[in-house]
Amino acid sequence: MLQILIYGAVSSAIYAMLAVGFTLIFGVARILNLAHGSFYALGAYSAFTMTSLLGLPLLVAAPLSVLVVALFGVAMERFLVRPLRQSQLAVLMITLAVSLAVEQALFLIFGSEYRNVPSFIAEKIAIGGVDISGQRLLALTVGVAVLLMLWLIIQRTRLGAAILAVSQDPEAAQYMGIPTNRIFSIVMAISAGTAALAGILVSPFLTVQPSMGLLPMVKAFAIVIVGGLGSIPGSIIAALILGYSETAVAYLASTAWTELVSLVAVVATLMIRPSGIFGRRAAF
Amino acid sequence: MISPFRLAAAGLIALGTTCISAVAIAQQGPIKIGIPTSIQLQVGRDTQNAAKMAVEEINAQGGLLGRKLEIVVADETENPEQGIAAIKKLTADDKVDVLIGGYTSGVTLAQLPHISNAKTIYLGIGAASPSITAKVKADYDNYKYIFRVCPINAAHQARALVDFINGKLKGDLKYSKIAIVGENAKWVQDLVPILKKGAADGGSDVRLAEFFDTSTSDFSPLFAKVKESGAQHLIVILSHASSDIFVKQWYDAQVPIPIGGIDVKSQDADFFSRVGGKAISETVALFAIRAPMTPKTIPFWDEFVKRFGTAPVYTGVGTYDAVHVYAEAVRRANSLDTDAVIKALEKTDMVGIAGKIQFDEVHDVKTGPGLQNLIFVQWQGNADRVVVWPKDSQTGKMISPPWLGN
Amino acid sequence: MQRIPWIDLLGGLLVLGILALVPMFATSNYLTGVLTVCAIYGIWASSWDFMSGLTGRENFGHALFIGSGAYTAGFMATAWYLNPWYSLPAAVVVAVLFSLIVGFPTLRLRGPYFALAMLSASAIMQRLCLIYWEYTGGEEGLYGLDPIIRSPLYYYWFVLAILAVTVLNVTLLAHAHWGLLLRAIRGDEATCQAAGINVTFYKIASLMISAAFTGLGGALYAHYQLQVSPPLFSVVVSITVIIMAYVGGVGSIYGAAIAAILLTLLTEMLRGFGEYRLWVYTLTLMLILFFLPGGLVAPTWRRLTARLR
Repeated sequence: MLQILIYGAVSSAIYAMLAVGFTLIFGVARILNLAHGSFYALGAYSAFTMTSLLGLPLLVAAPLSVLVVALFGVAMERFLVRPLRQSQLAVLMITLAVSLAVEQALFLIFGSEYRNVPSFIAEKIAIGGVDISGQRLLALTVGVAVLLMLWLIIQRTRLGAAILAVSQDPEAAQYMGIPTNRIFSIVMAISAGTAALAGILVSPFLTVQPSMGLLPMVKAFAIVIVGGLGSIPGSIIAALILGYSETAVAYLASTAWTELVSLVAVVATLMIRPSGIFGRRAAF
Repeated sequence: MISPFRLAAAGLIALGTTCISAVAIAQQGPIKIGIPTSIQLQVGRDTQNAAKMAVEEINAQGGLLGRKLEIVVADETENPEQGIAAIKKLTADDKVDVLIGGYTSGVTLAQLPHISNAKTIYLGIGAASPSITAKVKADYDNYKYIFRVCPINAAHQARALVDFINGKLKGDLKYSKIAIVGENAKWVQDLVPILKKGAADGGSDVRLAEFFDTSTSDFSPLFAKVKESGAQHLIVILSHASSDIFVKQWYDAQVPIPIGGIDVKSQDADFFSRVGGKAISETVALFAIRAPMTPKTIPFWDEFVKRFGTAPVYTGVGTYDAVHVYAEAVRRANSLDTDAVIKALEKTDMVGIAGKIQFDEVHDVKTGPGLQNLIFVQWQGNADRVVVWPKDSQTGKMISPPWLGN
Repeated sequence: MQRIPWIDLLGGLLVLGILALVPMFATSNYLTGVLTVCAIYGIWASSWDFMSGLTGRENFGHALFIGSGAYTAGFMATAWYLNPWYSLPAAVVVAVLFSLIVGFPTLRLRGPYFALAMLSASAIMQRLCLIYWEYTGGEEGLYGLDPIIRSPLYYYWFVLAILAVTVLNVTLLAHAHWGLLLRAIRGDEATCQAAGINVTFYKIASLMISAAFTGLGGALYAHYQLQVSPPLFSVVVSITVIIMAYVGGVGSIYGAAIAAILLTLLTEMLRGFGEYRLWVYTLTLMLILFFLPGGLVAPTWRRLTARLR
């Protein structure tokens, strides 16, 4: 029971980091970014390259990787997405193409074998009789910290106010003197950065292989829908629900059913309450 | 004294014959070996490299029936659709004389009817499911083209594993409670029932037998279940699944149960360093290791490492053997006619790298003393690989995971 | 009813003729096989375009119909040993059934919600195939199907004929009152409803039609590959079909079919690049998607034949 509690928390934290970035860029810029999974993968691979091939210590490699991927996200938005903004389908397709290109590039550069990223914390910690690796606990702590920070930024700073303004009405925000394009870039950087951070944190104990971004992408999509597109608290709550139900199913039934959980949750949400838990009624 | 005219005439005749033969050989063209394999994986790379090595050896000695051997590679990935496309390309477009390759049983099974339609001989070197050769007996006319040189099929592997469980685990180490965990793939589904029965018959108590999805990335629930079952040793059956993560998570959580079994990814020479040393004390079943199993083993091993920088995985060993098996059969049949070569192949009795190669009635490679067998090797400190079973091949003692003490 | 421009019909006939004749000049069955797969993708892409291209409701789970058609054929062949010809109508029925089951509750959803619902549905089916591996053959799937027509060339012509029928059918529908209504629904659904049109009926009916042809294609595919496996339900297949429709020009239908043939040919022709094959393919795709957001095939054709309209 305690196992489910702790491991579920870890899963939820990672999912939340992924989902929040996804919902942020959608809520603010109306971009359904199918390349979000690529940011996750790029974060992990960047950490791998820096630690294994460049020999940098992990504490340096991690923030550097986050920066690199954030810049990549900003570049993608600026050069590939912005010219196509009139058509949502075009944006969808180009981000999809980017994710395919990234996956193939990783395949070619790093090969298909799983790569090893060293753990930040190598010890095992026992909490109330439950064995958990230090790395997982770190993932949980950092995840929660990042989400809190994000919430603080959005609620308490001017930047956050600007972001909220743009998400409500980009044109009006522009009239008020808010540089919407710059806000888009900043939000994309945050979105890509959190995804990359999630990738870096889990890479020591999960897969690092070229197609690692696909499944988390689909899960993030599912969580965001269940929580409500554009709503951060919604994403967090949905991430908790999904993380815990998956862990519970894995322990009580069998690991084969875990994927089914998120999928069924999505379908159920869509049939019962399509706008999600906290979503506004879709404005399109 | 030979008249100058006679000398000149002889010279001309010799020259003429040589020219005509050269032209004849050149016009006959090379014998093409098609290699369907997963080119982006290590098993695929070793398949290609080993084929290259074998082909160059044969060509250096004059080729086969006077003709040079040539390789054509096609990527079958791990996807049946791509696999079928690869076979079609090799047989219909490149018109190869023989196919040597394979890895994923599911892909090979999908390719079978297409290989049969193309009436091309297929020497499998990577897929283990017994279903692949089952049709040879049931429908000989259509499926006589299929042979398996490597590995020994899943049923044989299961029996070898049972031998390890009963002999080493129960016999030597006195572990009577075991757990079995395997990826949800066909060859594992074929293997596990035999494993369970054999272990139970040998007196071991199988506390848990579970399949998990090949794409699973989080094994903590699984480890928790194994711990709760009270098992003393965990037998793993992994090929496509993420052995890297499995081993890392096992190490990180310091699961108090040693692991061992069939783990294809762990056969890679660099597996130990790839997982940062976390594979220590894992016992892995191998087909060949750098030891004088036959006179060919060490020369082949050293040459392979010299040329390609890495020790070969089982598909490399199998491919090298398969090319020579084919060449030898063609020489015995003295022709490339498919039916003649098939008859010759059926009578194969050749010394391979890990043992003698002979085929049974369903064209499957035989196992037994002197033939192809599994050996159980354990990763120990400094990426050393120590043979721990069978007893007569042992090169060292079996160790426990570092956190369990010795 | 809008008449189909005669130039389009002529173009279609020309393409069909070329496709039918090409294998006769080839030296081996390889090209015939490749073209058969191209044609099947053409069936899938054009039927997707009919529903999603016209209504604007992007269906991200097209693989659901592909897989259900294919697995129907698979079960009928391996579990019940029936004559392969029966699997064709059976596949249609099963695919349509699936479209009803998933379509009813989800078609009222707007925007990305319908897309996601369909995607989830096909992913669920893929998962179930893996979980119940004792019945479905798991990852390796079902194999040992018999071909419907033994000769690769005749089978190719058969598939080509079905492609022609599919494209013609949905194009006629698209140019008729039906198509007009679907386009109106894309424009403004609320107004359509206010005007008294039974929007739900049209949406579900067009999904059913799309599913019917797709399921048929799935069965044809199964009898060509002679095996079926879970990747047929995967999101990758759905995305491939959407890309084809997109490159063809969303809504044009014939564009989707042609693009499907071209893109499938491209993946085979790029084999010369070895390991770089998919990389080149993806880059090409990115270039097309970025510089030609309206698609490649349909706009090019329209530009070429502008004078003749």
